[in-house]
Amino acid sequence: MPPFERTQHPKPFKQRKSFATRQQEVAGIRMKFPTKIPVIIERYQREKYLPLLDKTKFLVPQELTMTQFVTIIRNRMTLMPSQAFYLLLNNSGIASMSLTMAQVYKEHKDDDGFLYMTYASQEMFGQSD
Amino acid sequence: MNSVSPSSAQYVQPADSPEGRRRRDLHSGHFGHGPAGGADGGREGSGEMDEVDRLKTKLMSAWNNVKYGWSVKSKTVFNKTSPLYLLGQSYVFNNEDEVERFSLAFASRLWLTYRKDFPPLGGSALTSDCGWGCMLRSGQMLLAQGLLTHLLPPGWHWAESPHLTDVDFEILHPRSPSLSRGSQTPPPVGHALQRRSVQEGGDSPAEALHRRLVGWFGDDPASPFGLHRLVELGRSSGKRAGDWYGPSVVAHILRKAVAVTTEVEDMAVYVAQDCTVYKEDVVRLCESSPRWKSVIILVPVRLGGESLNPSYVQCVKNILKLQCCIGIIGGKPKHSLFFIGFQDEQLLYLDPHYCQPAVDVTQGNFSLESFHCNSPRKMGVGRMDPSCTIGFYARSKKDFETLCSAVGGVSALSSSKEKYPIFTFVEGGAHDYGQEDAPPQILPSSHRLGHSGADEFVLL
Repeated sequence: MPPFERTQHPKPFKQRKSFATRQQEVAGIRMKFPTKIPVIIERYQREKYLPLLDKTKFLVPQELTMTQFVTIIRNRMTLMPSQAFYLLLNNSGIASMSLTMAQVYKEHKDDDGFLYMTYASQEMFGQSD
Repeated sequence: MNSVSPSSAQYVQPADSPEGRRRRDLHSGHFGHGPAGGADGGREGSGEMDEVDRLKTKLMSAWNNVKYGWSVKSKTVFNKTSPLYLLGQSYVFNNEDEVERFSLAFASRLWLTYRKDFPPLGGSALTSDCGWGCMLRSGQMLLAQGLLTHLLPPGWHWAESPHLTDVDFEILHPRSPSLSRGSQTPPPVGHALQRRSVQEGGDSPAEALHRRLVGWFGDDPASPFGLHRLVELGRSSGKRAGDWYGPSVVAHILRKAVAVTTEVEDMAVYVAQDCTVYKEDVVRLCESSPRWKSVIILVPVRLGGESLNPSYVQCVKNILKLQCCIGIIGGKPKHSLFFIGFQDEQLLYLDPHYCQPAVDVTQGNFSLESFHCNSPRKMGVGRMDPSCTIGFYARSKKDFETLCSAVGGVSALSSSKEKYPIFTFVEGGAHDYGQEDAPPQILPSSHRLGHSGADEFVLL
C-alpha cells in the first residue's frame, strides 16, 4: 500500500477560521466577483491515494457543470482518467455531474457562504478473515 | 487453541494434516459454506471419492459443532412476507416452490473464493490470494454473472446445484426449542445427496458451457479471467500480487481482460468515468465489430465519505431490483463482498473470504462443486462500504436503450429527499466534455488572486 501522503493542513478550513472571518471572506470576494462561486476543496481526511491539492479556495464560474469542474480538479492533480476521483458535497454525497455550480451552490452552500467539497478516491479491500 | 478465528489458522496449517483438516472443518461449520468448501476441491475424476469426502467433511463439521458447542453458526433467516430480490428476480417465501426456485437461482451463481496452492503469480512467489485477493474475486464473480447472463439460456440453473444450508425460511421452519439449538444438531447428511436427480445435467450443451465458463476463472496463467491474468492486467494501474484492490481498479482490470481475450468476442466492458456513462462511447464500443456487441457497464462510485450516505440506501435497493443489474462489487470496510440482492434492509451477498484448494481446470472433468455456494448470507445495508462498482448487462442495442431509461429513471436514482443521483447517463462521448484520454495538463486559464500564500483564491 502506498504510504500516506504528507498530512493535510492540521485542521480543516472550517476549524482554522472563525465563522465570522469566513463570512467576511465570502462577502468580500462575492463583491469583487459576483458571478463566481466560492468553493473550498479539501482532501478527505482518510484519503491514502490522491495527492494533496496545492490550493483550498477556488472561485468557480457559476455556469460550469460538475463534470467540467471535476475535470479541472483532476487536471490540477494530473490524474489518469481511470483513477477513481470523487467530489463529495459536505463530506457525504456526490453531486449530480450534470448540475451547474450555481445549482449545486444554491442547494448546498454553507451558512458562511462557501460551498464545501471533499475529494476522495475509493477504499481498498483485503482481509484475511 | 486460544483463537476462534479459523481463517488465520487455515492458511498456515498444511491442508492434509489432521489439524489442518479439523480446523478447516471448524471453519466450514462457522461460516456454513458446507460441502462446497470440503476437501474435494482439488480432486478430480473420482466422483465417488468426492461424495465420501463430502460426507466425511459434513460429519466432522457436525461433530466439531457438538464437541465445542459452538452456536456461532448463525442461520440466515428469511422473512416470509417481504419479497427478496436476487439479481432482478423477486421471491416471496410463502411456499416451498418459491424456496426451491430461489435455492436453485442462488446456488447456480458462480462463487469465486480465495484459493491456495496454485502456480505462482507472475512477478512473485505467491501461490495463494488468501488475505488480499478478495476484491479481485468479487470482480470475477461480477464478470461471471455477466457471462452467465450472456451465454447461458435465460433462466438456466445448474442441475446439480447444492441444497442450501444454514438457512431458515420462517414459514417452513417455525422456531421451536429443538431448532433453536440447530447448530448442535448434525445436519441430515443424506438430504443433499438424495435431492434432484442429475439426469438433466451432465452432457447438455448448457452444462458444457457452464463448465467452460468456470474454467475461464481457473487459477491458471492461461485462464482468460483467472487471478493470474487479472493481476497481470492490474500492473499498469500500479497494482501487484499481494496488494489490496479497489472496486474501481478492478472494473478497469475486467475491462482489459475482456478486451484482450479471444474467448468472448461478442461482448465488451465499458467503465464509466466520474459517475457518468457516455452513451455515445458505449455505442461506439458495441459497434466496433460487424455485429452489435453485448456490453457490461461498470460504474465505480463512492456513496459517501466514511460510511454509506443513508440517502443512497433506497437507490442501491432500486438498482438491485433491475433485471439488467448483474450485481455490485463492494463490501464491508476492508472486506469485499459481491452483492446480488436484498430483502428488507439487508443485502444478500456472496463472500469470497473462504480459502479453498485451487482446482486444476485443465482437467476435463474437474469438480464444479467448489465454484458454487450453498449458504446465502445477508448484512445490514447500512454497513456497506461507500466504495463500490455497480454492474449492468445489455445484450442488444435495444436492451441498452431500455437499460438507460430503466436505470436513468428517477425511480432508481433519485432518493426522495436528496438530489444526489448515484450516477448519470449523458448523450455524446467523453470527448464532448473535455474528458479525453489525453495526458492531463494544468489549465493556463487559472491564475492566482490576492496575496501570495496558501490562503489565496484560485480563479477558474
